[in-house]
Order: sequence, then C-alpha cells, then structure tokens
Amino acid sequence: MIPVSLVLPIISTFPSNNFFCCMKKKIGVIGLGNPLRRDDGIGLVLLKYLQENKKKLSKTIEFIDGGTSGMNLLHLLGNYDIVLILDAVDFKGTPGEIKKFTVEQIKNQKIQFFLSTHEPDILTVFSLLKELDKAPTQLLIFGIQPKDISYRIGLSKEVHQVLPILQKKILKEIQSITE
Amino acid sequence: MSNDFSVHVEHVTRVEGHGNIILDVKNGKIEKLQWSVVEAPRFFEAMLRGQHYNELRPITSRICGICSIGHSLASLKATEDALGVKITSQTATLRRLAIHAENMQSHILHIGYLVAPDLFGAGSVFSMLGKHTDAVLKIVKLHRLANEMSDLICGRTIHPIRLVVGGFSLQPTEKQLIQLKKRLLEAQELTNELAPIILSVADNLPSFTRETEYIGLTSDEEYSLYDGDIASTDTGKHPSYRDYKEIMQEYIVPHSTAKYAKHARDSYMVGALARFNMNSCQLHPVAQDIASLFKLKAINYNPFMNTIAQLVEFSHSIQDSIYLIDTLVDQGIKQEKPVKPMKKAGRGVGIVEVPRGILVHDYTLNSQGYCTKANCIIPTNQNHANIQKDMEKLVPEIINRPEKEIELTLEMLVRAYDPCISCSTHYLDVSFK
Repeated sequence: MIPVSLVLPIISTFPSNNFFCCMKKKIGVIGLGNPLRRDDGIGLVLLKYLQENKKKLSKTIEFIDGGTSGMNLLHLLGNYDIVLILDAVDFKGTPGEIKKFTVEQIKNQKIQFFLSTHEPDILTVFSLLKELDKAPTQLLIFGIQPKDISYRIGLSKEVHQVLPILQKKILKEIQSITE
Repeated sequence: MSNDFSVHVEHVTRVEGHGNIILDVKNGKIEKLQWSVVEAPRFFEAMLRGQHYNELRPITSRICGICSIGHSLASLKATEDALGVKITSQTATLRRLAIHAENMQSHILHIGYLVAPDLFGAGSVFSMLGKHTDAVLKIVKLHRLANEMSDLICGRTIHPIRLVVGGFSLQPTEKQLIQLKKRLLEAQELTNELAPIILSVADNLPSFTRETEYIGLTSDEEYSLYDGDIASTDTGKHPSYRDYKEIMQEYIVPHSTAKYAKHARDSYMVGALARFNMNSCQLHPVAQDIASLFKLKAINYNPFMNTIAQLVEFSHSIQDSIYLIDTLVDQGIKQEKPVKPMKKAGRGVGIVEVPRGILVHDYTLNSQGYCTKANCIIPTNQNHANIQKDMEKLVPEIINRPEKEIELTLEMLVRAYDPCISCSTHYLDVSFK
C-alpha cells in the first residue's frame, strides 16, 4: 500500500523554492547511505535515478555518491554553494515518506564527542564547516523514512513499492529548485 | 576520591554499533572492567556468497567509509589470487599510491579531529577553533590534499570506482601526477609545521606501557602497506599468507557481539604502531626524523603512541608517493586495460595494511566465477582484546586519580585505536522544531 504522504506533495516547512533564487551557483546533489543496509541506501538509489535523468536537470548540478563518508564529506560540501542531500532519515514517519528540511529545522542537533573517526554524521560535518566559514550557502536535506536498515542488499518491500513515486518526486523537486 | 565509583561510557551514536567502557569500583577494588562492543553481527560474508567476482570489490568497498580503498584492494588481491591474475607493475604502483592516499586521509582525520582535541584539552575539534585555529587549518588542508589524491587515483574520495579486477578502469595522466607531486611537496612542509605543534602537547599522551604482540605485514623490499608477509614481533614471519588463520585466531566473548582475536599471547595489536614496531627502519628518512622528534623508537609498548606512529606514517606516505609518482613519470604512464583472468574458479586470499591494521579477504569462487565462500578479518576486531588488556593494566595504575580523569584516560585509550565501531551506516535520527 502506498502511504498517503506519498501521493501528496513532499511535506515541508521549508520557506519556498525561491530560496534558491541565485541559480548560477554551483550545486551538488549528494547521495548518502550504505547499499549493504537495505533502506539506508535509498539516497544512493535516488541519486542514480537523477544521474540517469540528468538531461532533465540543470547542467550546473554535480552528482556525488557520498556513501558513508562521515568527516571525508567536509571538503565535498565545501565545494558547493548549494548542497542537496538525499539520505535515509528516521523522523518517525511512514516508510518511504519523504521530508525536506534544513539543518536549522532539526531540534535535536548536538555536537557529539566521539570515540572513533567513523562516527561523525552530516550534521557534525556541516557544523564544522560553518565554524570554518566554508559551509555551502544552503544545505537542504531530502530525508526518506526507512523501514529496515538491517545488513542486506536491496530495499525493503515498503520502500521499494513506492520507489517510482519517490523518483518522480525527487526529480520534480530538484528541477523546481534549480531551474 | 571515593572508594566506590563507576565509569560508564555508554556511547550510543546512531542506530546500532557502539563501544561501551564499563568500570565499577567498590571499596577501592575493581569489580568490573569491560571494553564492550555491541554491534549487530555483520553479514558481509553472507552478502558476498552468490555474487560474481566483478561485484565483490564494489560490495566490500561499502563495508567501511574510512577504509573503503583498503577493502577494495584486499578484495581485488583475493579475487586475482583466486583467478591467477598477474597485474602489471604500473597497476601495482598505482595501487600503492591508492593505499597511501587512504592512509593519509584516515591518519590526518584521526590525529586532527579525534586525538588533537584531547591533547589540547579542548573536548572537540570545535573547541580548538579560536585558540588553536592555525593547527585546525593545517589539519584541514592536509585532509583536503589526501582526499584529492584519492579522487585522482581512485576516482572518488571514498568508495573508489577505478580499482577493478586486473588493474584500473582509468589511469591518471602524467600532467595530473606532476600536479599531485607539487601538492605533496607542499603537504610535507605543512606536516613539518604541524609536527612541532603536536609535539608541544604530546606530554598529554599518557605514559603507559604494556608489553604485547604486534602483527602486520613485512617485506624486505619496502615499508609494507600493499604487499608483504604476515609477521609477528613474537614469532617472526609466517610462511604462508593463505594460512592467516594460524596467526589471526578469532574467538567470541560473551560481553561483545564483535569477534576478538589472539595469537601467541592473549591479545595482539595491529595498526600504525604495530607496523612501526616491525618495520621502522624502512621508513623514509623524513618520516624517521619525525619519529625522532617524538623520541619514538621501536619497540614502543605505549598504545597512546599509535597516533604519533600515524603522524610518522603520514610523512612516509607523502615521501613514498612522491617516489612512486617519479617512477611512473620516468617510465611513462600508459592507459592500460585490466588484465583478464585466465580461469574462473579457485580460492584466493588478499591481505593489505589499512590505516587500522592488517586486513584479510578470503574468497572461494566456483567454475562460473561466483563466490561460494568468503571470510573478512578486519583490524578493529583484532584490536578489541588488546584494548581490554590495556584497560586491565591501566586502571589499577590510575585508580586513585579523579573519576573524570580516569574516564577521559580510558576514552583516550579507545580513541588511540580509532576502532571501526559503526561506520556502515550514517543514518540520521531527527525530530523537528
């Protein structure tokens, strides 16, 4: 069954697409996640779809497979004026539901302490870039609610079922943001 | 301080996969002391079964976001060993450059973003900004260079795409390599500036020692990273790489879902300090100078010095990369096609040194070239028992210090090893304002 949220426009409290009005800027679309962990790889699946349809998108967009880069994303993010992240995000929604949001809209941001360099996530990287004054002008996250992130290749049935809808939506969203 | 106290560092980072430090003291005596890695069992080996040999490298490059080049190279070596592929000398040189790129990437991340905050008493890299901005900027520049080197050689910052069975899908041009050499020369200057800054706070590394066994690759030809024989500081060279299980004896402990490992003693260490302890005389002289600056000599039994060994290796990787680039340019870089396998079936073992230590991939392929059996031994699992044994010696030595200091020292010990405890997902868990 297709979640109701997926037949509606992407849920967002984001101001408006006019936010990205200076369109000559360098734009990076970065897919994050691990394809070995089921729905955690949804960001990469969507990235691949966008790459395959890049003729329908602005030529100023670069597509990056960020995988599980962690702190290695530091320099990737800093290369762009505008960064659009595609990633699995647990916002307690329906599996396959998509939300777009900015870092500023997240309530539970905190700078963690780490026992390992393997840990930092996109929020930590973005915070450090801001401190270094090298952050992209805007960072927008398209978060997709996963159902299953266990160790297995392939999306869950729930997310796979709505994949064609997700693909069309994300293409439309990125078209409208970058036109 | 009180006779009764507990230090529980329950480090839940994301969804699963975390390292816990548990210390309970009652009446001044240790009741419980545990380094516990609670991680969902990983099913990478099961994922590889049934996959065609061309898929093994891309899949295993996703195991770790920090060591994706190392996993790729171990995977390729295992596949090529099984299929009887002999790579060209140019491919071997480029792969050595790839492994240097990853070593530099990972080491500077560890030194700069994880350990330096402890040494500067800053809590995190964020707190270093302001008072120590210059050091942070040097670290950031070095990190950027390592990423660019990975981009050039491997086609991506992480999860490489140019490394394929039998060679490379695309080689860098001579012009690109010459440009990289210039950047590496600049990086050495920056490293020479960074080393005294680290030295100025190096006294904050605990002066703790515990004799243990060190295991890694060794070679008569070079400071081993890409190739070599398995060796131990206790038992010397092992005669056959295919019998690696005789050295890396994995076992299960009740308090942890990650595998542990031992060999001649009840634990051993792998990683930069292990490599330094075995092969330091083969380091480039510039790297040896940095070791001398920190009075680091083999054998050093202080695990906290692993970070300094990484700084030494960072410099070695710069210098050896310059040498390898000169070799490639002198010989003339060719756009070679990957060497094709002569057979489809067989068993192959690939062993490389990745930033955290020796890594093994072992595959069996059937007559159609599909994987029927796989085994991966990662460095972090080999270090868990050593971390536990270090803690067991360290805590009685510091038990009379303030609780916060004990906690920090134990965290610093774990950070010195930089364990891979959950890099396989970077899933965000958020709520909105």
